[in-house]
Order: sequence, then C-alpha cells, then structure tokens
Amino acid sequence: MNLTVRIQCLMISMLSHAALSQTTGNRTVSVALPVVTLLDIEPPGNFALNFTAPTEAGVAVTAPAANTTKWINYTSAIAPGGLTRRVTASINQTIPGVNITLQAAAASGAGGGTLGTSSGLVTLSTTAVNIITGIGGAFTGNGANNGHRLTIGITVNTYANLSARTNTPIIITYTITE
Amino acid sequence: MRRNGFINPIEICYTKYILFILFIMFSYQYKAQTMTVTGSNWAVSIPTITEAGNNYAGLYESATNQVILAVSVPLLLGNAKVSVHYSANPTWNSSLILSAKRTSNGTTLCALCSITGGTAYQTITQTDIELFRIQAVLALASYTGINIQLQLSGVSVTIPATSYQSQVVFTVSAI
Repeated sequence: MNLTVRIQCLMISMLSHAALSQTTGNRTVSVALPVVTLLDIEPPGNFALNFTAPTEAGVAVTAPAANTTKWINYTSAIAPGGLTRRVTASINQTIPGVNITLQAAAASGAGGGTLGTSSGLVTLSTTAVNIITGIGGAFTGNGANNGHRLTIGITVNTYANLSARTNTPIIITYTITE
Repeated sequence: MRRNGFINPIEICYTKYILFILFIMFSYQYKAQTMTVTGSNWAVSIPTITEAGNNYAGLYESATNQVILAVSVPLLLGNAKVSVHYSANPTWNSSLILSAKRTSNGTTLCALCSITGGTAYQTITQTDIELFRIQAVLALASYTGINIQLQLSGVSVTIPATSYQSQVVFTVSAI
C-alpha cells in the first residue's frame, strides 16, 4: 500500500469517527395530568334552623338566623377546551309554608385558578338549581374559610301552610358537574 | 511517486493536497468535544388529589442520576460548556417549569481537569442555558458518570388536564 492510499484510508477512518461523534443528546420528560372533579362541604356536620314561637298573641313566629358556618371546597381540572363546571344544590324534601334558601358567597381563601361565580340567593327545592357556575381549572383550598361561604336560611313563604313539626331533617345535596 | 527516476509533479501536488486536508481534519478532530447521554426518560408520577379544595404539591424531583452524561474535552479546546434546553414533544405547557442540576462530578483520569457549576437547580428554557463547564489541563478531559437530576414545578389543576412531554436536550460546545 503506497503512501497516498494509506493517507486516504486514514481520512476515511477519521471521517467515520467524526460522523459518530456526538455533541448533543436528550432525554424525555413526560407528565400526565388527569381530569379532577372533587367537592365537599366543610366543616362536616349538621346544623339546626329552629323557628321561635311568639310569646305575644298576634305575633308571627320568628325565623332563625341564617347559618353561615359551611363552606364549599372544590378542586377542578378540566381537559383542554373542556366545559366549565357548576355546582348545583337540591333538598330531599320541602316543608310546606317555608322556603329554604341558600347563597354562595364569592370565593375566598387559599384557592386559585378560574374559580366559580355565585348565582346569588336561590330557593332550594327537590330540583337541582345552580348555586355556583363558571368553574374552570381551579382549587379553593381545603377546610373552613376556604372556598365559597354558604348562607343557608329558612323563611316563611305561606303562613297558612305552616304546621308545627319537630326534627324534620333536610338533606342538601351539592353536585359539581359540567 | 518515482518512476524511472522521475518524480511525477501531478502526484506531488495530489499528495500535498491530501496532506493539507488531513492536517485540517486532525486539527478538527483534536479540537472536537463529544458527549454521550444515558440514563432514562423521566415519567413524572403525580399523586392523585383526594381532598376537595387541594391542589397538587406542584414540585417533583427525579432520581439524582436520572440523566448521566459522559463528556470529553480535548486539550486544545481547553474549556467547554454543557448547555441544556427543552423542546415540546409534541405538547408542553409553559406553566410547567423544568429545572436541572448536576449531582455528581463524574469520574476522570485527568487529575488537573475540573468540572464546575450547575450544582444548583437552573430553570431550563427553550433556548440553551449553560449548566456546567469542563476545563482540560495538560490532558484530554474525559468525564464519565456526570449525574443530572431533573425537577418539575408548576404542576397545578389550573393547567389543562392532558399529557405533556418534552425533550431535555444537552449540548457540549466550546466556550
């Protein structure tokens, strides 16, 4: 093998080496974020709303002060382009002569994202009604003082339909849905 | 090149030409830095939210040796830097923040060579940022087993729920 051929072989070898030499490389990072739909009421537990009987003839029963101890917490993660969520409320039974009302306040506390908007004061029935709408990807924070404070009251709507009763349990069902 | 006692001038020119190219290639080869990336891809495990009102913890770290680099820097080059950037592959969300740091010096036979920087998390962007440097002194600086740890932050339910994937690209280059 003469010198020229040897040099050419060396060049080919170096070209091969150069072609195989790398100055860059990569690794993949992947993360999957699932759709999340969670809601609860904090703190847990029941409360009572008792009318007070008058002590003076001719005076109406006195409605109880509204309960403001409950908060709605939710976590919502929606798919790209997905529909916003809403929270509805309904009760398992109505009581003749009275309205059970509910109002969700604006969200406050430790939350973030696209939190929902209150639908204002609503009267609850056995048919679900919106109480919060427009929830996007959001979280309210957990526990009392986070999320939407609820004001739940009871008022007389038709005095003639009132009847004395004790311990009438009313279950309010909250649902977060699209 | 000698035939019948004569030197063929064409062959002389050709040989000189070849030698010149060879010289250029030697120079290039002697100055070329190289890098090999091993380790594994990182599929970030996100714990499920079980309590209404909560968000994700938001910050997750890979294994300390998630990515392993082997870098060679020739003496003639002297110094080289390893940079990093990410590219969506195919979908990423700008709220998801990737960071990287060097968790080991790796090993080398070059006693005087040094590896510096990159031991604190640095945010990875879509354009190259310098992660660390290697300096070759009196020898080829060939480092193997340089461990890289990755971090993902900004994970939140406020980000649209879908799968995201990016490539973290490491590059060695002259300074």
